[in-house]
Amino acid sequence: MLPRDCSRRLVTELQGALDACAERQLQLEQSLRVCRRLLQAWEPTGTRASEPPPGPETNEEDPPPACTPSPQDLKELECLTQALEKAARVRRGITKAGETDKAPSLKSRSTVDPPGTIAFAPPRTPGRAGGHASDTRPTKGPCQTTVSAKGHSERQLLSLGNKTRVGTGAWAPRPGPGLRDQQMAPSAAPQAPKAFTLKEKGHLLQLPAAFRKVASQNASLWAQLSSMQTSDSTDAAAAKTQFLQNMQTASGKPQPRLSAEEVEAETGRLWKACSLLRLRMREELSAAPTDWMQEYRCLLTLEGLQAMVGQCLHRLQELRAAVAEQPPRPCPVGRPPRASPSCGGGVDPAWSSQLLVYSSTQELQTLAALRLRVAILDQQIHLEKVLLEEEVGGQQGTWGRGARRRTRG
Amino acid sequence: MGRRRRRVDPAAGALPEAIAALSRSLPSGPSPEIFRRAKFDRPEATPALWQLLFRVLAPLPLDNALASLAPEVQARLVKSALRSQGYPRLALAQLPEDGSQGSRELLLALSWLLARGPVPEQMLAQTRVPLGDEMTVCQCEALASPGPPAPQVRAEEPVDVRHVQWLMGKLRFRWRQLVSSQQEQCSLLSKIHQYTRGCHGDQSLGHLSVAEAEMLRDPEGGQVSGVGTPRNLDLAYPKGLHFSCTPGMGPRTFWKDLWLVCEQPCLLLACSLLSPLRALLRTLECENRRLEAVLAWRRTELVFWRWMDTVLDTCAPGAPAATSQGTFLPRIPEHRGGELELVAWELRALQEELQEAAERRRAAWEAEAGGCGRGPEWSAVRRASREAVETELGALRRRWEQDRDPAQPHGPRRLVRREDGAAGDRDLRAAEVIRTLRSQEVCLEAVLRQLQGQCRQELARLAGALPGLIWILPPGR
Repeated sequence: MLPRDCSRRLVTELQGALDACAERQLQLEQSLRVCRRLLQAWEPTGTRASEPPPGPETNEEDPPPACTPSPQDLKELECLTQALEKAARVRRGITKAGETDKAPSLKSRSTVDPPGTIAFAPPRTPGRAGGHASDTRPTKGPCQTTVSAKGHSERQLLSLGNKTRVGTGAWAPRPGPGLRDQQMAPSAAPQAPKAFTLKEKGHLLQLPAAFRKVASQNASLWAQLSSMQTSDSTDAAAAKTQFLQNMQTASGKPQPRLSAEEVEAETGRLWKACSLLRLRMREELSAAPTDWMQEYRCLLTLEGLQAMVGQCLHRLQELRAAVAEQPPRPCPVGRPPRASPSCGGGVDPAWSSQLLVYSSTQELQTLAALRLRVAILDQQIHLEKVLLEEEVGGQQGTWGRGARRRTRG
Repeated sequence: MGRRRRRVDPAAGALPEAIAALSRSLPSGPSPEIFRRAKFDRPEATPALWQLLFRVLAPLPLDNALASLAPEVQARLVKSALRSQGYPRLALAQLPEDGSQGSRELLLALSWLLARGPVPEQMLAQTRVPLGDEMTVCQCEALASPGPPAPQVRAEEPVDVRHVQWLMGKLRFRWRQLVSSQQEQCSLLSKIHQYTRGCHGDQSLGHLSVAEAEMLRDPEGGQVSGVGTPRNLDLAYPKGLHFSCTPGMGPRTFWKDLWLVCEQPCLLLACSLLSPLRALLRTLECENRRLEAVLAWRRTELVFWRWMDTVLDTCAPGAPAATSQGTFLPRIPEHRGGELELVAWELRALQEELQEAAERRRAAWEAEAGGCGRGPEWSAVRRASREAVETELGALRRRWEQDRDPAQPHGPRRLVRREDGAAGDRDLRAAEVIRTLRSQEVCLEAVLRQLQGQCRQELARLAGALPGLIWILPPGR
C-alpha cells in the first residue's frame, strides 16, 4: 500500500488524465459522426432552397416559426425545383439505359413514381423530412426556366435558400406512408443514381457569397493583425515598459519579486534543461571517440555540461528562496491548464493566417499519430513525476544530502 | 501635470479614440466614460472594471459556473489571479470586494495587464471561430484536463495499489482508443478535402473544410441532432466554443444564458433563434468588428499610455505597509515547491553522474596525451575545440531558455491538402512537423525511461527500508 497522501494525489492525477482522454474521445467521435455523414449521400429533404421543416425524425425540435417568404421567391423556388425534377427524370432515363444493377431500386421507385417522389439529386436540403416534400412541385404550373447544368441550379438554389425562409405549411406534403416505404426500401442500395455524394459532385459545391465575403474580410483582418504584431511600434513598447517600471517604483518595491507563475515557468524550464543535459550526456558517453581530438572535445563537452548543471542548481536555489518567502498562494478556481513542458505558454495570435500543408492521407495520419503520442508521453511523464515526487518526498529531511546510494540508471 | 496635458492636447481626439477602440476590442468592454471616471476614482466605475478584469483573467472555458459567480467572489478571484502574476501594488489587495470603491486602482491593474501582454489579441484568439480544420502543432492543451479537479476529500482510507493499477490500465486503453479514432478521423478528413478540391473561393486554400462542407450540406441546421452540438470540428478543439448552454429554467437563468450568448454569438445556435449559417455569419461579423477595433487600438495606444502615466501620478504616493493580504479562498493543501524539489533532486543526480564521468575522462586524457601536446599548434587546436564546444553548449542552453521554439509558432493551424505539398514561406509542411515531432518523441521517451527507472529504484529502496516486505514489480514497463 502506498502512503496515504501519495496515493490520493496520484489517484487525482490519474482521474484527471482519464477525464482529459474521455473528453478528447468525445470530441473525436462527434467529429467522426459529422465527417461520416458528409461522406455519405447527402439526404434529400425537399428542395435545398427551403428552410428545414424539422423532419418527423427530429421530434425534439419545435416547428420553426412560420415566417412566410415572399410569393415571388416561392414561385422562383418552385420553378427551379421543377426544372431540377425534369433534369433528374432525363438523367434517370439515361442511367436506366446504362445501369442494370440499379434496376431493382429503379423499379421500386418507378412504382411509386406517379406521386413523383423521386429523391431527386443532388438535393442539398437539410432535414430528414424525406422525399415527401419534393413531390408537391408537379402540382404547380410548369415553369419555363431552363437549367443548363445541374450545378448551376444548385448554386442558384443555394443562394436563394439563404434568403428565404419557408415554413412547413408552405408545402403540402403528400401522405407519408408510401413514401416512407420507398425511403426505407433502397436504403441498402445507393439512394439514387443521382444522390449527391461528396465523392462525385464535391467539386461542384460553392460557398454562399455572403459567407465568402465575410470570411475573406476575416482572413485579411487577421493577416493585418499578425503583420502588425511582427512590426511592433517601438514607441508604444517603450511607453509600456516605462509605465510598468513606474508602477513598480510607485508600489515601493525596487525589485520585482518572482511571481508564482514565473516560478512555475522557470521550474518547467529547468526540467527541460535537465532532460536535455541528460540526453546530451548520454550521447557523449555512448559515442566512441576515434581520435584524440574527438576525445578532447568529448571531455570538454562533459565538463561544460557539468558547469551548466551547476548553474541550473544555483538558479534553483534562487527559486527556492523566492518560493519560501511568498505567502501561501491561494487556490484558483478551476485548474489552470497545465503548460506542457515541451511547449511555452501563452496564446500567440500571430498564427491565424498560417497553414499546415499535407500531401497525402498517410502523412496526415502520421502527423496526427505522432502528435497524440507526444501528448500521451507528456501525460505519462507527468504521472511518473507525481509518483516520484511523492515517493521521494515521503523521505523527509535532507534532499540528496543523505547517504543515498545512486546506481547508474 | 498640466504641462503634460497640454502636450497631449494637439492630438486631443486621439485619447477618446484610443479608449473607444480599446473598449470595443475587449469583450464586455466598459464604455469610455467608465475609464474617465476611473481616473478620478469615482465609485460608479468600479463594478464594470471588476467585471472586465474577471473576464480577462478568468480561465477559459467561461462556462455557466464561472459566469454566475457572485461579484464578490469574482473580485476575490481577480485579486488572487493578479497576485499570482506578480502584480506589484498592494493597494489592490486591500480593496473592498463589494465594488464600492477603488476604480482607479482597477484601472491601473487593467493597464498593467495590457502593458505586459497583447491582451485584446489573446482574448480574440480564444473566442475565434475556426472556419477550417485545425490542428495544433505544439503540445499545449493537447490532452489538457478539463476543468477543476473535483476536490474529493475522501475519508482517510489508504488506496489500494491495485486500484491505481486498474486506473492506469484504463488510461492505457483510452489512449489506444484515441489513437484508432484519430486515425479514422484523419482518413475521413483527407477524403473530404480531396473530394471538395477546387471549390473554395480562396485559391490558397483550394478545398473546403469540414465545417464549410457541413454548412453547405445543412445550412439551416435541420439535421442537428440536439441542442448544443458544436458545429466546428477540428483536431484541436477551440476553447471558445466550449459552451454548455443549459436551457433556462426560469427568467433568471435565461438572462444569464443570454449574457453568455451575446458574448459568444455562436451560442445562438443552441438557442435556435437563427439558422446556423446566419448565426455563423453574425459571429464572423462580430469578430471582424473586434479585429478592426484591435487594429485601431494598436495604432493609437501610445496616447493611452501617456494618459496612464498621468493616472498613476494622481495616485497617492507612498508604499502602503505590507500588512495582511486580505482574505483569500481557503487554501487547499497544494503541492508547493514539490516539483521544485524534484527538479533539484534530478539535477543533483545528474551532476554526480557528470562529475564521475568527466573526472574519469579527464584522468584518462591526462594520462594519454597529457605529456605531449603543449606546443603551439596543439594549443591552437585546443582553443578551436573549446570554442566549438562552447557554441554547441550555448545552442543547447538556448533550447530550454527560450520559452518557445521560434521555428514552431504556437496555436492551431488550418489543415490544407495539396498534392504537390507546396507551401508558402509562413506555412508549415507536414513533413517538417513530423520530423520535429519524432525528435520530440525520442527525447520524451528518454525522459520517461529515466523517470521510470528512478521510480523503480525508489520503490526498491522503500521496500528495503521496510523489513519483511516483498515487492513484486509488474513485468516490463
